[in-house]
Amino acid sequence: MDSSTASILTEVFFETIGYWYIIVPTIFLGLIVGGIPGFSAANTIIILMPLTLALDLQSGLVFMISLYCAARMGAGIPAILVNIPGTAGAAATPLDGYPMAKQGKGQQALAISFVASCIGGLLTTVVALAAMPILARVGFYMHSVEMIVVMLFGISLIASIAAQDMVKGLIAGFLGLMIGSIGTDVVYATPRGTFGFLELYDGVPLIPALVGLFAVSEAFVIIEKRVIVNHDNEPKAPNWTDTFDGVRIALKRWVHIVWTSIIGLVIGVIPGAGASIASFVAYQQSRSFSKTPELYGTGHPEGLIAPEAANNGVTSGTLVPLLVLGIPGGATAAIMLVVMQFHGVSFGPSLFENQPKVGYGMFMAMAVSYVIMFLTILPLSRYMSHVTTIPTIYLAPMIIAFTLVGGFVPREYMFDMYLALAFGVLGYVARRTGYHVAAILIGVILGPLLEKYFLWSLKKSDGDIMVLFSSTLGNILWVAFAMSIILPIVFNMRRKRKLEVPAE
Amino acid sequence: MKPMITRRTLLGTGAAATALTLATPGLVRANTFPERNINVYVPTSEGGGADRNFRAFSSVWKEKLGTDFEPGFYPGASGRVGYEIYMGKADPDCYNLIFGNMGPEVLNWAMQAPSFDVNDYFYFGQVDKDPCCLFVGAESPLQTMDDIISAAKSRRLNVGTSRMAHPASIGLLALGDKLGIDFNLIPLQGGKGTVAGAVTGEVDFSVLTSGSVIAAGDSVKTLLVFGDNIVGEALDNAPSINDAYDMDLPEMLSARAFGIHRKAAEDHPDRFEILTTTFKETFDDPALMEAYVANNGTPEYLQYAGVEECEAFKQSMLELGERYKSLLSGA
Repeated sequence: MDSSTASILTEVFFETIGYWYIIVPTIFLGLIVGGIPGFSAANTIIILMPLTLALDLQSGLVFMISLYCAARMGAGIPAILVNIPGTAGAAATPLDGYPMAKQGKGQQALAISFVASCIGGLLTTVVALAAMPILARVGFYMHSVEMIVVMLFGISLIASIAAQDMVKGLIAGFLGLMIGSIGTDVVYATPRGTFGFLELYDGVPLIPALVGLFAVSEAFVIIEKRVIVNHDNEPKAPNWTDTFDGVRIALKRWVHIVWTSIIGLVIGVIPGAGASIASFVAYQQSRSFSKTPELYGTGHPEGLIAPEAANNGVTSGTLVPLLVLGIPGGATAAIMLVVMQFHGVSFGPSLFENQPKVGYGMFMAMAVSYVIMFLTILPLSRYMSHVTTIPTIYLAPMIIAFTLVGGFVPREYMFDMYLALAFGVLGYVARRTGYHVAAILIGVILGPLLEKYFLWSLKKSDGDIMVLFSSTLGNILWVAFAMSIILPIVFNMRRKRKLEVPAE
Repeated sequence: MKPMITRRTLLGTGAAATALTLATPGLVRANTFPERNINVYVPTSEGGGADRNFRAFSSVWKEKLGTDFEPGFYPGASGRVGYEIYMGKADPDCYNLIFGNMGPEVLNWAMQAPSFDVNDYFYFGQVDKDPCCLFVGAESPLQTMDDIISAAKSRRLNVGTSRMAHPASIGLLALGDKLGIDFNLIPLQGGKGTVAGAVTGEVDFSVLTSGSVIAAGDSVKTLLVFGDNIVGEALDNAPSINDAYDMDLPEMLSARAFGIHRKAAEDHPDRFEILTTTFKETFDDPALMEAYVANNGTPEYLQYAGVEECEAFKQSMLELGERYKSLLSGA
């Protein structure tokens, strides 16, 4: 870093701090919209577009970035406390977050999530800033063939889940993949499995599927209990101990945070890839190389850290192609592009030469937002966790009402509310019969993406299947994928053998 | 003296007054269209290009018409969902309009017929038109049309497009016909993906509407325009396909326009007249250009077209769609 860049960064840092009066209220707004299913930073910026355009460039930037970061973190709160992932990016969060809440460790889980999110977000912001020219090149190498392998990393989670009950796990995953294939095909837009519903032409909408499978079905289940928290795990009176415990647990696993947030960053810089892919891949990687893979899904802190650190890593990652190449990495970045073009900012390679303060300012706004967010939200975990003690006769109807509205919001179709309800019934039946809803959901979310990249690859190669092994990076990823499947089995066998030795 | 007002005259006058009072709103209503907001069905997502374009135009049009516009967004299936809902559920009373794209959305009907008769609606006012173009990523090894033609001799080139049934795809296929090149179209699902595909090398180059290409800035370089290049430098002074290759291809355009049920225009000619007159007046107001540019529009693309031009455009898209159907739909 040369001295001029350092002086710009210092100047931008102090300027950004000066916008605390925008950042703090925006953080709370972001946490709220992130927490409500169906709402997101993207549609909030759209709704508030007149306000955003009326602000000067710097204020508008700070507002959008703070909202983006806070919404990402906010989505994890209901995912942990009531099993409602606010966005697809938080879909992997309840896998271990919600079991913790049910064990009366909601406050601890929130603290872990906040620490993982903030450190993951902050760290990846710094890395993105430092390695921007290199990271911007990732998209030049990660094409459809390579993305197929990345998708398989995430989808292989189905196999991990199936390990607990092979037949049921695979049936659930296969059902999810089948549901994911509903809609028009990627190449010729031929409708498949839409049952004549126009609303399904673009595939099964993610939010209704997400809230239906997780939240609505959970509401049906918890109504049979008095409170979410298991009877033998009644939460204690409000105290700071659980929060500090959560912070300590998370900080102790700092390597895990670093590792999984970098996964998020790398996936985030690939145009078109998103937080949902990153969080599942991070969870899968975390589980594969864990010494205690059997604890995943039961309320294991590492299973919560991985998706939260990764989806916040994506947040900074999406800025890289936007700023360096002028290609928005996701929906929120696309809207940022519109707002900034309104202010006359032109993106692309010349941005850091012509308007360096804009480019660096965005990353600085992100870093400052994470720091302020950490300080403002951590104390709240103590109060938020008490959602889990609200009697279910009040909580369950509220969850259903909120989630149905959430299902409606993204496209504003009544159909989507019915769909959320239908997925709720499917999820309830799955839970009651021992099928894992997460396996269904992974298929629904990642199946269409896998199909997209697969069909693109085949179309590009005129149907030659060997295209899957045609790139060097792709082949390296294939080997890594094979290793991530085989090595945990080998490690597991070795562990078992070691345990058996003393018994002899 | 005979009283001035008898019981009979009082009752008669009262009845007449009552009848007049009751009838007045109806009489006035007939002459005061619109008396409530106009609903506009937008077949794409909120916050996208169509939304911005609609907001810019309606912000000025509402002043001429004396009422506000209420947009409803019905995205899905390349616009098909919005049109189906408009034609199936909206009353044909001139209070319901559709704001669509006469290029790709009409091309859809040729690929797969909708549930309604495509002649049951028509476009009456074009807001802007945006020619499609061919472009490469800034770092692509193919930097000229000659590079592309030369590379196409040794291998089949992959070309990104927003979707198969798109005017830009037709422009490329027509170019391939002319040059004897078999291009491989890869639908990259939307403008963002199409630009990214060319920039990152997922495909050899891409074709898209030029407004999105201009927005991509220095990351891309335009080599050919499937229409007239009226923005010059903004599209790297790329030549028109007809000039460069001595062709006679109609302009391949994305053209946003307001449409209406044919029945509404036939049943309520007075209302339709008010709509078309005020629509035209909007173009005469300099405030429109300001609003259009403020919403990221390319000033040169803001171009009026009325019922006849829009109908000709729609029919030409349907004909082109039929001609290239087998290549674009895989049928």
